[in-house]
Amino acid sequence: MSLLAALTNYTVQNVLIGAVLLGCVSGLLGTFAVLRQQSLLGDTLAHAALPGVCIGFLIAGGRHLGWILAGALATGVLTAMFVVLMVKRSRLKTDAALGIGLSVTFAAGVVLLTYIQGTAGASQGGLDSFLFGQAAATRRSDLWVMGAITLASLVLVLACWKQFKLVVFDPLFARSIGLPVVVLEVLLTAMIALAVVVGLQMVGVVLMTSMVIAPAAAARQWVNRLEHMVPLAMLLGVVAGVFGALISAWGNNLATGPLVVLAASALVLVSLLAAPRRGIIRERIDRWHARRALGQRQILATLYKLAIKHRDRHYPVELGMLDSFFGLATRRALQRLEQQGLVARVGHMREEGPHWTLTDTGYAEAERLTHFMASDDGPTRPGPRGRGTPEHG
Amino acid sequence: MSGPPLHEPDFALHVEDLTVAYEGKPVLWDIDLDIPPGVMAAIIGPNGAGKSTLLKTVLGVLRPTAGHIRVHGAPPRQRLRRIAYVPQRSAVDWDFPTSVLDVVMMGRYGHLGWLRWPGRRERERAFAALEQVGLTDLAGRQINQLSGGQQQRVFLARALVQEADVYFLDEPLAGVDATTERTIVQLLQQLRDAGKTLIVVHHDLQTVRDYFDWLVILNVRVAAQGPLGSVYTAENLRRAYGGKIALIERAATAPDTPERPLDGPR
Repeated sequence: MSLLAALTNYTVQNVLIGAVLLGCVSGLLGTFAVLRQQSLLGDTLAHAALPGVCIGFLIAGGRHLGWILAGALATGVLTAMFVVLMVKRSRLKTDAALGIGLSVTFAAGVVLLTYIQGTAGASQGGLDSFLFGQAAATRRSDLWVMGAITLASLVLVLACWKQFKLVVFDPLFARSIGLPVVVLEVLLTAMIALAVVVGLQMVGVVLMTSMVIAPAAAARQWVNRLEHMVPLAMLLGVVAGVFGALISAWGNNLATGPLVVLAASALVLVSLLAAPRRGIIRERIDRWHARRALGQRQILATLYKLAIKHRDRHYPVELGMLDSFFGLATRRALQRLEQQGLVARVGHMREEGPHWTLTDTGYAEAERLTHFMASDDGPTRPGPRGRGTPEHG
Repeated sequence: MSGPPLHEPDFALHVEDLTVAYEGKPVLWDIDLDIPPGVMAAIIGPNGAGKSTLLKTVLGVLRPTAGHIRVHGAPPRQRLRRIAYVPQRSAVDWDFPTSVLDVVMMGRYGHLGWLRWPGRRERERAFAALEQVGLTDLAGRQINQLSGGQQQRVFLARALVQEADVYFLDEPLAGVDATTERTIVQLLQQLRDAGKTLIVVHHDLQTVRDYFDWLVILNVRVAAQGPLGSVYTAENLRRAYGGKIALIERAATAPDTPERPLDGPR
């Protein structure tokens, strides 16, 4: 199918709109889950949705999305409350309680699923598609439900923005100014259950957790304000959703949900590696620069000491001597120091190798460095860090 | 204190028969506490004495098992706008995506309505508070780039914009350098001189006498309370700390030594 043909295809349109909604809601609500360090909660709530799906199916007597989502939301919220109670009333830690909640609800869900398959026969209408999602089965009416949930959670987050922000950042202080912290935390948890519900149709319970976590985790790498993180997480969620939907339509109907999750995970990977301040690559580069600057300072200090020892400010030192002293090639470092005007090349004796000497600025800089290192109050003075790497400043 | 004795509504903080229990074990037992307005009070006591628990209970974070609390004559819940709180620095995740100015403005959230967003007035107040703690330059900075002392001053600025009458501070001097400690103490003393009440959980027995004028010694029960001069005695400290600390002997052997000026040298 060509891209244009795909875009005019009714099913593909549904899937695309669904993916956009899913991206929005998971980025929006996932941000709070990630910041509350409750990523595992998303996983548990996703698996807890499965028995709810089955119960909703049984009550409605068929594959009626409204009932199914209501059931999923109900079991999700119940499980969340059960986990909170377990942590409060027993000696279980949160991660253990979440793990138990996850496996118990998922097991119950699978049992119910097989029960329905056994009794309802052909009319079970692909309930197991909720395990891994079946985007192509999305109907217009499903989109209205997903859209309403997305809109409702957006309105709720915007209305209670500062309360949510404060409760996630500093619940003690939030309590001290009279905010209903417990209510707000329950709301945040219930909203994650909502996000899961939106994703059931597209991505399924097993993979939904990464849709909650991935866009938010990726967004955190690039921005430093909650006000920026939420829209960026939503945008990344939408990008992943659209990307997955298009690839699926373009290719031979590859599974949309897993493609969306793969796209979101790729965004996380890129963000972890390449983000400007928090990325691994940046960190490595900074460390490399620092190491290089350190080597340059050491050479400068060595030249300075030799100059003092020989009572000659511009004492020429042979390259081979420096190389053997440091045990490695110092030519590149010397060239960089030369670019900064701190050392100069001098011709000395013909039969010897190239010689280097401190310039006047280089001598002053070395003097400053030495004094800096000798003084106790070092770190409070303007340090050599900026000076050492002027080319990257 | 001179004049007629104060009654319950006159105290900045009045705690009566307070018991707080965690999992059935009392952390605070039968606490009776009165702190008059306009003092800078230290709450000291060994680890596990219930100092932070007392603060959290007063602020409604923990629910008391028994007893009641009054702040300026009313339950704390009705005095929220007159109370400011500085939690321990370690209570929050400093990698949270927000700026220094934003954190300070959080101190106005309680005064704003439920739906109103902080605006220009809140921003101006936050800047004024940042100036008081000497952090104006860092207003736009991401909070994960702050030193420990700067974090503490940001929290203090947030309490300042609350414009409260009673300030509760949980270990505001823990792990800050000498300069920051001086800045914070001076600020707190200015607040006291302006008639505010400061109730500070403190850990350093050495500096108690230099900074505070009212003292509560706590160890599950109240071991002693009152004006610093009469309470800071070797015997009282030994009652709370069990006499294990040699420092107590040195710090309080001579109860008749004249009290040093509060802002004087150590």
